[in-house]
Amino acid sequence: MDIIVCIKRVPETAEADLVIDGSKKAIDTDGLVFSINEWDNYAVEAAIQLKEAEGGTITVISVGPEENNEVLRRALAMGADEALRLTDPAFEGSDAYAMAKILAAAIKDIPHDLILTGVQADDDGFGAVGVALAQMLELPYAALVTDIKKEGDTLTVHRELEGGLEEVDTLKLPALLTIQTGINEPRYVSIMGIRRVAKKEIGAKGVADLGLSEEEVGLKGSLSQIEELFFPPVGEGAEIIEGTMDEKAEALVKILKERGGIG
Amino acid sequence: MEKIAVLVEHRQNEVRDITFEMLGKAHQLLEGGGEVIALFLGDVSQKGLLDQITPHAHRTVAYLDSNLKDFEPLRYQAAFTNIFENVDCQLILMGQTAFGMDFAPAIAAKWKIPFTTDVVDIEASEELHAIRQMYSGKVNAKVSLKPGEKMLCTVRAGAFPAEDIPTVSGELQEITGAIEGDFSARTFVEYLEAAVGDVDITQADIIVSVGRGIKDADNIPIAQELADALGGVVACSRPVADKKWLPKERQVGTSGKTVKPKVYIALGISGAFQHQAGMKGANTIIAVNKDPKAPIFSIAHYGIVDDLFKVVPALTEKVKELRG
Amino acid sequence: MEELQQPLPERLDLFTCIQCGKCTGGCPVSIKSPLNIRRVIRESTVREDLHIFFDRLEIWDCTTCSTCAIRCPRGLRPVDAIIGLREMMVEEGRIEKTIIDALDGAYKYGNPWGRAKNKRAEWAQDLEIPNALEMDPGQVLYFVCCAASYDPRVQVVAKSLVTVLRAAEVSFGILGNKEVCCGSEIRRMGEVGLFEMLMEENMKNFTKIEPKTIVTTSPHCMNALKNEYEGLDSEVLHYSQFVWRLIEEGKLSFNTEVPMKVTYHDPCYLGKQNGVFDEPRDVLKSIPGIELIEFGRCRENSLCCEGGGGRMWMEGTGIGKRLSEVRVEDALEMGVEAIITACPFCLLTLEDAVKTTGNEEKIKVIDLMELASMGLGVTPEVE
Repeated sequence: MDIIVCIKRVPETAEADLVIDGSKKAIDTDGLVFSINEWDNYAVEAAIQLKEAEGGTITVISVGPEENNEVLRRALAMGADEALRLTDPAFEGSDAYAMAKILAAAIKDIPHDLILTGVQADDDGFGAVGVALAQMLELPYAALVTDIKKEGDTLTVHRELEGGLEEVDTLKLPALLTIQTGINEPRYVSIMGIRRVAKKEIGAKGVADLGLSEEEVGLKGSLSQIEELFFPPVGEGAEIIEGTMDEKAEALVKILKERGGIG
Repeated sequence: MEKIAVLVEHRQNEVRDITFEMLGKAHQLLEGGGEVIALFLGDVSQKGLLDQITPHAHRTVAYLDSNLKDFEPLRYQAAFTNIFENVDCQLILMGQTAFGMDFAPAIAAKWKIPFTTDVVDIEASEELHAIRQMYSGKVNAKVSLKPGEKMLCTVRAGAFPAEDIPTVSGELQEITGAIEGDFSARTFVEYLEAAVGDVDITQADIIVSVGRGIKDADNIPIAQELADALGGVVACSRPVADKKWLPKERQVGTSGKTVKPKVYIALGISGAFQHQAGMKGANTIIAVNKDPKAPIFSIAHYGIVDDLFKVVPALTEKVKELRG
Repeated sequence: MEELQQPLPERLDLFTCIQCGKCTGGCPVSIKSPLNIRRVIRESTVREDLHIFFDRLEIWDCTTCSTCAIRCPRGLRPVDAIIGLREMMVEEGRIEKTIIDALDGAYKYGNPWGRAKNKRAEWAQDLEIPNALEMDPGQVLYFVCCAASYDPRVQVVAKSLVTVLRAAEVSFGILGNKEVCCGSEIRRMGEVGLFEMLMEENMKNFTKIEPKTIVTTSPHCMNALKNEYEGLDSEVLHYSQFVWRLIEEGKLSFNTEVPMKVTYHDPCYLGKQNGVFDEPRDVLKSIPGIELIEFGRCRENSLCCEGGGGRMWMEGTGIGKRLSEVRVEDALEMGVEAIITACPFCLLTLEDAVKTTGNEEKIKVIDLMELASMGLGVTPEVE
């Protein structure tokens, strides 16, 4: 089975103090640590486990500048066979829709039985590229997948629904799945492992190579765009809730409702 | 904006809360004017669910077909096409849910509908702007959509209230008839309920976590009761697992599990950074601790400095009241 | 880069093992864990495929205290067989999530807790400690490392050491946010490549500033820098050695009585592995008012606290009492008011044991530098 995994390189922001840059449309990424998007890491592991069981090849694809070779190389060290980087200044500003178009153009030329993406990315959190990509490639798909079993040309997958509920579906290959975290335990990639694939060639393709026009990608090819970034109104440290016990409980209930804490 | 369509979300014969949250927002955006249209895809046997919908929409368009009982995206897409082409609206709302995430992007890509996802607010004064969160909620983005005949936003669950939705005299428009096509490329098989006693805290949206402050194994039920009321699970910090008051797989922290729930309620947890490492990714952290200097308050979004044995029962009661 | 070309038994000369069992006999975790180091050595020499070890979680129970290496009559290092097996598991990526997180954290952020790089020197922000990178060569570099930089409890130790060094008018600097983990624990978790990477990163700075002496908070860092860093010419001392030298040279003396009956817990990486037994005791005894009562198991026979060898990130499979709890109970029986130690991991594990055994009111765990600071009339603030 030949598998394509789409991976993204994202800044780790959980512990960082983020700064919005001068354009007001992006964050200042100076000093941030970048790594493979967490969901995509699970997708790569899922691909490797399928390959270990079924044979075949794994191609990893990432859209972005040369730095993205880091995550591609890490995926190679993990067990992928080939890596491809899609890069062009014209890609700048692509939303989920334009991103799916870029990926679709590249994937058309690569034989595949299965495409995996992460459910969403840590940075923009669209949760849309995978499913939009499936639509463009006219493939059956399933989002939020937490289990994959293959029998012949049929996949049986579990999808994660709300409140601990799961759904079982069958899909015919070729297909696309968006992978949820926790589906597996991604293996560790050792520094020596990464050094071993350091010399492996990673191809790069731009707009023209993909048979796309500049109008189809980037901001021009997007259906949405960021106007402005701003910080949500949350103070440093905990907001301490005061009052009588009844008022405290009442305030907590309100917060829980707002924050999705009553499931 | 004059007309907003809301795609009703239902599962296992229940209308999901997100539906009412979206209907409420649609009414608010139209400021009493315009038309809120509810779109319903489902089985004839589920027609009863429409009774909950029609009072809150000016018009409800229901596509009823015996094969639409459970969600199958290819079949749903075909049914939706039928509605989509016949319903005039400027904005479609769907949930950023397991259903909407598996459906909306394909719909948008298919008809090139300007869209964005996981929005926490919508402003529709002159132009439509969606507010959505980036970087795990650390930054908000104001997003504009390319002008189009129709636009689509998926809405984060819980972003808008599900109560006090305006009641309007809604008409029901039924569409029946089998959907043509071969949809066997993806088929629904069954639902799997989470096994009892087999709690995976890393998958939970709501976690009630207990620390040393719970004092004794006999007190765990206090936390369990709150978790049950909230629809969450009970987890713990290391000392609690060490003492075998809860099984090891419930432990959060460096030597336990890393969790990223929507809400993490830390009860009597001081918040050593080994513990913080396992839960700092939670969207909302609420801490209850007697010690105002407990480090957990530096990472929590909300805090109550008080005895958990007083706070928790009071909170549980309120939650139960709310849920009826 | 050292590749793992040779099979483990050849590389570590394990075929010369006579299976006498002195290693297991002295192994502190053997009484509570399925880990039997003698048997591991035996199996690794007769089994063709060492993958049989991969599912044995007890391989991670070893604290790398190295008692086995001290006791081996053949001069072998059984502990290195454990680390070698871990290296193989790391190479194949088959390790526990908590270990992966620690290694990822060290790779991305330079510390196994994955805390932000730019917060590394936050503990020192009000202390105005010179940036070592701007100092002339031949000075004293204080190598703080991760636990003291990020753990609020161990930060107190770092601050206390600063108090002591200042009282002795030592001019010293720190690397601040440029410092990365020494890699000691990383190496013991089996990630040799990452250890080398961290070493290279620190060495870049060491080479630039050529410190005369590097003083460490942790015996683990001291051991790594002194015995494992390649091409480091500076003298590497644990703070207990350095502070004792200051006392001997007459640059430091304690002016405040600290009336306290204490015992001293020998950290494995300081005592057993580097023979530093006397200096911490000498420092202790020079603080007026301190009465030192020795543990039954002290010096070479000291009982490991179970904090080393990656155990801060791996709970261990062992059942029953933690060794740190045994240690606390022994100390209580001796009637001391405090256990003094000189290692961040010992401090954390012992203090945790005081809490888990419910003895917060009866006994304290104090770091040697905190005690020294008290001897100078500065009471460290432990939250």
